[in-house]
Amino acid sequence: MRAPSRLLGAAIGAVLALSLSGCGSSAPEGTGQVKLTLWHNSADPAPLLEMYKKFEKQSGHKIELVSIPSDGFEDTTQTKWATGDRPDIVEYHATVSGLLALNPAENLRDLTGEAYIARSGDLYRSAGSVNGKVYAAITGFPQVFGLYYNKKVFTAAGLTPPTNFAELAASCPKLKAAGVTPVFESGGSIWPVQILPILYMAGANQSNAYGKAIAGHSSTLADAGSPFVSGLTAYAKLKADGCFNKDIVTAKFEDSMKALVTGEAAMVAQHSDMLPALLAAAGGDQKTVDESVGFVGLSSDKPLVTYAPGPIGTFYLPKTGDAAREKASLDFVRFMTGPAYAEYITASKTFPVFKDVPDPQGVSSVLQDVKKAYDTGAVIAFNSDIPGMGGLAQLMSELIAGQKDPQKAATQLQGQVEQAAKAAGLPGW
Amino acid sequence: MVMRNRAAWLPWALPAIVLVTVFFVAPFLLNVRFAFSSWTSFRAEITWNGLENVRTLIDQELLANAVTVTVLYAILCMAIQNTVSLSLALALQRTSGINTVFRSAFFLPTLISPLAAGYIWRGLLAPDGAVNSFLGVEWAWLGEPSTALVVVAFIDAWKWSGLITLVYIAGLNSIPKSLLESAIVDGAGLWTRFRRVVFPLLAPALTFNVAVTLVGALSAYDVIAATTGGGPGDHTRALNVVMRQQWGQGFFGSASALGFTVTLLVIATAVPLVWWLRRREVTG
Repeated sequence: MRAPSRLLGAAIGAVLALSLSGCGSSAPEGTGQVKLTLWHNSADPAPLLEMYKKFEKQSGHKIELVSIPSDGFEDTTQTKWATGDRPDIVEYHATVSGLLALNPAENLRDLTGEAYIARSGDLYRSAGSVNGKVYAAITGFPQVFGLYYNKKVFTAAGLTPPTNFAELAASCPKLKAAGVTPVFESGGSIWPVQILPILYMAGANQSNAYGKAIAGHSSTLADAGSPFVSGLTAYAKLKADGCFNKDIVTAKFEDSMKALVTGEAAMVAQHSDMLPALLAAAGGDQKTVDESVGFVGLSSDKPLVTYAPGPIGTFYLPKTGDAAREKASLDFVRFMTGPAYAEYITASKTFPVFKDVPDPQGVSSVLQDVKKAYDTGAVIAFNSDIPGMGGLAQLMSELIAGQKDPQKAATQLQGQVEQAAKAAGLPGW
Repeated sequence: MVMRNRAAWLPWALPAIVLVTVFFVAPFLLNVRFAFSSWTSFRAEITWNGLENVRTLIDQELLANAVTVTVLYAILCMAIQNTVSLSLALALQRTSGINTVFRSAFFLPTLISPLAAGYIWRGLLAPDGAVNSFLGVEWAWLGEPSTALVVVAFIDAWKWSGLITLVYIAGLNSIPKSLLESAIVDGAGLWTRFRRVVFPLLAPALTFNVAVTLVGALSAYDVIAATTGGGPGDHTRALNVVMRQQWGQGFFGSASALGFTVTLLVIATAVPLVWWLRRREVTG
């Protein structure tokens, strides 16, 4: 009996030793190389994934990628985060509202003073930082929200694309008369239906004035005649006037891209990170996209694009307490923002966030339109700094279904903002 | 006799009691406090805040609608599944080659992931989908407030009816043939035999099926998430859908309060229901 007991003991010991070594996420001792866990968005484009590999090659560290589905990205990240699980690097939203939800002072490493921040212009004034401390390393150009339009449809109808809501409303009957859906909305994907009201509010949000007023509690969303209520009212009127597709409740954003490329719809309100989806809708044919699709800024009264720093290529370093891994994860940030960044811009054909890196060559005409509109007039999304705005899309669904009017939706959303602002301990609440 | 029987089956029940205690009762007792806490993703401290989460959910007009949708959905699922499954069981009761094929066919959806089932049906029921093409109509089955909840309940029924049917078939086959033969000799017709003999003796299967379908639907999430996401508006926004939305916004305390509401609903519904159905088994 004794021999088997000893064997059993040895086996248990071996299993324990193996499992413990697995827990430490450390590579062989003495090499200084470690295994880093990176929670990343499943929509990371191929050139970004290639950068992760290049870092592995250059540093000798290993990166274990944990893919978070882009559909429900925030929910899934929050769910994993709430369990207390902490990766070495997390890719997440750069907006202040997104950052607050990670409780940065408690959970994230302060990156203030890193070299890339000074090279980023004013970016960290409105993103990736809280209370004067920078927590994010933003490498992706902001998501630029505006109006994609089908050039051929507009030319055939003898119209120019609208750049304010009055022009948008006026173009509806003419486009409908031409047998085209004026604006394609994707309520089946839920989140896209909040874009048009947010675009509307850009008119009142120059220098983030409206967003700051709401976040600082000097105005409320539900104030009579507020930009928010006006934006929702303008949206409801477009719907009542039949400007949207009949399947607005069930259509997914992929449907909107397809309708735009084929000319079944004249316009879609979306952001610049949708370009790969647009290309996919055109069967991967860039020429078709370039020939048929353009992009303009739109707000309540002037041609403005709305931008929001996106999650793709925005990295945070959670506190893990492991000195070797914390050093390696900082190396990762320095790599992503260092000399290799120019190669990434060339490969991804996106625009750089660092002033000293040149724009890429051979950029598609739609993306050139996006950059042109951004350079002409860009306003940060009014909800970027306001926590608790996650319920906007759900309320828009109720507005579309006729269950809520704009004023009631505004009152309800203000309640959610209050709930979050108090929880986050924002000044003024 | 009863006491001796109890002593005999207790050791057999013990593993189940231990499993339920370790995996359900203990986690529930350990976590229920979060429903009454200020837990959010925005700060590290978690403090007791009484019924504040419930008040917030009521103020934001989320709770009453979610409870109504959940209860309505559960009743629809239970009614549809049991009606369909009992009919199928009566049709497929006899063991034969063709019936085995049909039983397998009806059981297949049970093996499909609920999310996959939801995505398949969402495609089929889209305004330009196969169902509308076949019927020659243009209707957003999942996008119209009048049909969305019922259609999702039907999808859930399609998913689970195969399993419920098997339980009914087992129940039907356990009815002594001699009783049915006696009824025939006494001149009882098909309907009378079903009403007076078959249905009362199906009581244990009915208890199990009604309880399982109702409780399962009270905690519905997956099929709804894959088909409507809670829409149109909030017409299919069941408790667990709202819970997921609250959780995604970092309001963990409110999400826990919604989870606790689901538990309360299950206890408040299932305990009296099972008690009444069990009593019916004895007296019926």
